Amino acid sequence: MKRFFTLWKREVASYFVSPVAYILATLFLVVMGMGFWFLASVRLRTGATFYELLRGLYGGVAWLAVLMVVPVLSMRSFAEENRSGTLEMLLTAPVRDIEVVFSKFLGIFTVYVVMWLPTLAFYPLLQRVSEQPLPIDFGALAAAYVGVFLVGGFYLSIGIFCSSLTRNLIVASMSTFAVVTLLFLGGFLPAVSPVPQLREFTQPLSPVLHMMDYARGVIDTRSVVLYLSSTLLMLMITTRGLESRRWRA
Amino acid sequence: MIDVQHLTKNYPGGVTAVDDVSFSIEPGEIVGFLGPNGAGKSTTMRILAGYLSPSGGQVKVKGMDVTRKNLEVRQCLGYLPETCPLYTEMRVGEYLRYRADLKGLSRRHRRTGVERAMEQCGLLDVQKRLVGQLSKGFRQRVGIADALVHNPDLLILDEPTIGLDPNQIVQVRKLIRDLSSAHTLLISSHILSEIEATCNRVVVMNQGKILESASLEELGHRWSPGAELTLEVKASAPEVDKTLRSLADLKRIQVKQDGAWAHAELLFANDEDHRERVFACIKEADWDLRELHARRHSLEETFVKMTGGGEEV
Repeated sequence: MKRFFTLWKREVASYFVSPVAYILATLFLVVMGMGFWFLASVRLRTGATFYELLRGLYGGVAWLAVLMVVPVLSMRSFAEENRSGTLEMLLTAPVRDIEVVFSKFLGIFTVYVVMWLPTLAFYPLLQRVSEQPLPIDFGALAAAYVGVFLVGGFYLSIGIFCSSLTRNLIVASMSTFAVVTLLFLGGFLPAVSPVPQLREFTQPLSPVLHMMDYARGVIDTRSVVLYLSSTLLMLMITTRGLESRRWRA
Repeated sequence: MIDVQHLTKNYPGGVTAVDDVSFSIEPGEIVGFLGPNGAGKSTTMRILAGYLSPSGGQVKVKGMDVTRKNLEVRQCLGYLPETCPLYTEMRVGEYLRYRADLKGLSRRHRRTGVERAMEQCGLLDVQKRLVGQLSKGFRQRVGIADALVHNPDLLILDEPTIGLDPNQIVQVRKLIRDLSSAHTLLISSHILSEIEATCNRVVVMNQGKILESASLEELGHRWSPGAELTLEVKASAPEVDKTLRSLADLKRIQVKQDGAWAHAELLFANDEDHRERVFACIKEADWDLRELHARRHSLEETFVKMTGGGEEV
C-alpha cells in the first residue's frame, strides 16, 4: 500500500511540475467557462430552468472538454516512460505491474478531478450575478459530477491502455482521441440509426444518454456498473500487456 | 549468488540474443561481463534483474527462480540499466527517496539508506539539484546510488562508465572498488581496461554464447600467442638474427637495422619469462644492450582474438 501511495504521489507530482497540467487546466476552464457563460446568459434569459442549464453544460459542453482533456492527460502515462527508458527502472523495482497501472490511473484521475473542481465555483458566481436567486439542486449537481467522473475515468483508462502500446506521445494521444471520439459518436446511434435492433442495442450503452441522465440527477446503477467494470477491464488489459513485455521484448 | 543454467532468450523475428548460456557467480565476487556490442550482455542482465523473462533455461538469484519469485529477486538486487534512465524533473535527493520508498524501506531505513548512498556516490553536494540539469557523470552516479540505496547483496551494473570523461571513469571505478568489499558485483562492459581495472573474474560473451569464464590471468595464459620480447643491441642485423635463432622455443624472429643498432622482435612458443636466457645470450656475444623489454599481452588483444579478430558482429 505504501508503494502504491509512492507511485501515485510521483504520478500526480509529475503533472504539476510540468506546464502540461496548467496549460490543459486553463484551456479546460476556458472551454467550460465559455460554455457556462453562453448557456447561462442565453438560456436563463429565455427562462430556462436550472436543470436545462445542467443538461446543456454536463450533457453537452462537458463532452468537448472531456474529449480534449483525456487524450492529453493520459498520453504520457506509459509512452513517456517507455520513450525515456524509465519504465525499465520502474519495472525492475520490486513493485507489481498491477500496482504500477492502477497507481498511474489513480494519479491521472486525481489530476482530472482537480481540473474539474474550479467549475464548482460557477454556481455561487451565478447566484451572485443573477437578479432572481436561482434554485440550485445540489443532488442533480452532484449526480452530474458523478457522471463526469465515471465517464472520464473510463476514457482515461482507455488512454492509459493506448499509451502503454507505444513510445510516441502523439500516437498515444491521437489513438486515444480516435477511440474516445468514436465511443462518443457511437452514443448517437440510438437516435440516428435506421436499424431498430441497433437502436435498441446501443440505447443502454450510449455515453451521451448516460451523461444526459446524470445531468438530470439520475444515477442509473446499470451505467455505473458499466463504467466501473469497463474501467477495471481496460486497466487489467493494460496490466496484462505490461506483463507480456517481459516475454515479447 | 547467481546461478544461470542453459539460459536462452529469443526475441520476436527469430533473433536469439542469448543462446544456451550457463554460468554462476559466488558471493563476494566481482565479475566482468565482457563482449562486443550485441553479444547478449544486456539481455542477460535484464533477465537477471527481472525485466525480461527467459525463453528457456533456469536463472536463480540467491536460490530464487527469477520467473517464479520475480518480486523477491528484484527486492534483493540493485540494477543499473545501460542507459541510466532517470526522472529528469525530480531532484536528486527526492528521486533517491522515491526509489527507496519503492524498494520498501521504512522511514528510518530510508533516511540512512539515502544518505549512505549519496555519500558513497559523492552526491551530497548536488542533492538539491534537478536530475535533468546534472552532467552525465553525476546522472550515472545517481543511477548507481539508486541501485544501492536499499543495500542489496548483489549489484548488476550495465556499462557503468559508458559516456563518461576520463576523470569520471576513474571516480566510478574507485566507487566500484569501494563497493566490492560489501557487495557481489556483476559489471558489463565492452571496454576491456575497465574490466581489467575492476574485476577479478570475467565472463566473455559473443553472439549470445559464453566463450570463456575464467580469472583474468587464466584468460591471458590461455589465449596468449606466446611471450614476446623486443631488444636493441649494437650489432649488425644478420649477426643478431643468426645468434638469437639458436634459442630454444623460439617461434619467430624479426631483426631490423637501425643505424649501428639492431632492433629485434622475438616470439616464443610458450608463455614463460625468457628475458634471462636472452640476456645471457647477449652477454655471451658481448653486444651493447640498450633495450630489453617483455611485452605483456593486454586483455584487448585476447579479446579481439576470442571474438573473431575485430570483425564487426
